[in-house]
Amino acid sequence: MSAHSLLEFDNIDKYYGDTHVLKEVSLEVDEQDVCVVIGPSGSGKSTLLRCANRLEEIQAGEIRLDGTALTHPEADINMLRQRIGMVFQSFNLFPHKTAIENVTLAPQKVKGIDDEIAYEEGMSILEDVGMSGHADAYPNQLSGGQQQRIAIARALAMDPRVMLFDEVTSALDPELVGEVLEVMRALAEEGMTMMVVTHEMGFAREVGDKIVLMADGKVVETGEPKAFFENPQTDRAQQFLSRML
Amino acid sequence: MSDAYTDGAAADGSTTDRWFNDQTLKRAGAAIAGAFTLAVGVLLYYIVDFADPNLFVRIIPRFLEAFVLVLGIVAGGSVLSIPLGIFVGLGRVSKTRFTNAISTGYVEFFRGTPLLFQLIVIYYGIPALWIQNFGDFPISNWAIPAAIIGLMLNHGAYVGEAIRGGIGAVPEGQMEAARSLGMSYVQAMREVILPQAWRNALAAIGNDQVILVKDTSLLTVIAVPELISEFRQVNSATFDPWTPIILVAILYLCITIPLGKFVRYLEARSDWGGGDRR
Repeated sequence: MSAHSLLEFDNIDKYYGDTHVLKEVSLEVDEQDVCVVIGPSGSGKSTLLRCANRLEEIQAGEIRLDGTALTHPEADINMLRQRIGMVFQSFNLFPHKTAIENVTLAPQKVKGIDDEIAYEEGMSILEDVGMSGHADAYPNQLSGGQQQRIAIARALAMDPRVMLFDEVTSALDPELVGEVLEVMRALAEEGMTMMVVTHEMGFAREVGDKIVLMADGKVVETGEPKAFFENPQTDRAQQFLSRML
Repeated sequence: MSDAYTDGAAADGSTTDRWFNDQTLKRAGAAIAGAFTLAVGVLLYYIVDFADPNLFVRIIPRFLEAFVLVLGIVAGGSVLSIPLGIFVGLGRVSKTRFTNAISTGYVEFFRGTPLLFQLIVIYYGIPALWIQNFGDFPISNWAIPAAIIGLMLNHGAYVGEAIRGGIGAVPEGQMEAARSLGMSYVQAMREVILPQAWRNALAAIGNDQVILVKDTSLLTVIAVPELISEFRQVNSATFDPWTPIILVAILYLCITIPLGKFVRYLEARSDWGGGDRR
């Protein structure tokens, strides 16, 4: 598949003080693809994802969205972030806003969309994630799985080009993981470009178009799911998979 | 002592040996509360006996006038100190070093010196500087504006610290989520962080505003005709301290108790669908 690559990491380096956490990482996420990043904890996969919308700054290299260098010092990061949806491990829903208000806040305030239109679009997105029945509930009143689905809806409401998922099921009770993965699977089928950091190997294999294994701040192996899981090329990948599966 | 309680804590028998156990604490508490009630009762009896009902009725109008003035000063001080405090709190969490340093210095000064001193600086000091540099001081009744400015600056520092703490208690993920949606720092602060910080800081701010009410008693020193000033006048004319004291107490409580209730109402109102779950 040689589609247009939407999100490109070009030789990036990141340090926390003296600690070199991302080492010359290069990676391309193609349009409409689901790129799944896996790896042991501390391997830098979440950091890589957070660099992609500049919640973390990189020290060298370049990250491009649709050809625009979003790591450029003069890049309009607020504008670029509107095109990059992000979902967090800890949901980070706004507790003082209801589900629908969480979803409509950014479209109203950032894009200046009319309240009524934002509401209608918000409701339709909540419908897509199966949460329209809880539109007026506050996050406190909902389960983790429900909160995470609203968090996905909130990101989708900005109509992003690419969605970043940062271990979005790791904080959930096991029985709630499925409903969130289901929403993500549906999103992938609709053709959303996604970059997913996860420990869910079943999801990676089933939904992923490209698997990226990271270890010690480096990309160790990249491949299509079938090839990667059945016939890993590197020792590091074989070792990781033998522990995970 | 027979083991009267079956709390489970004394199952091994060891705690029943100690003389200061739960039971003795309970009894001691009741005894102290009883003694306190008795003392207050006796005091109140003598006070009521001392007070002069005719004088009480006669001084009500002048105290009401003072009360209205205090209400106005409190309103002015509150309305100004809260937005000031929000800006100070924002300054205190600012990553811009200059802004941060100035707001920190402001807080250190106004929390580190007595309000009475600050009132004196504003009431006596500012007109003196003005007269030396610009001629006649243009404000004829400077005491009341000076009072409001003093209360605003002093309590702005306390509200600022409460807001800073309130912002600090909002999880970092909230700012990240807001920014990742494309909101600017200002939008994220206004829409996401400050509403939660306000909720977190509400109890502390409410406390501070009650103190602001009581701080108006210091205004007697800069010749504001507030409740203590009225007391002093009545007392020196009649040598009856208790009759005006009763009125002063009632009038302060008429502000502070409803204010406390109002703060609790505001807290209850922003429980966001489950105060019990938070």
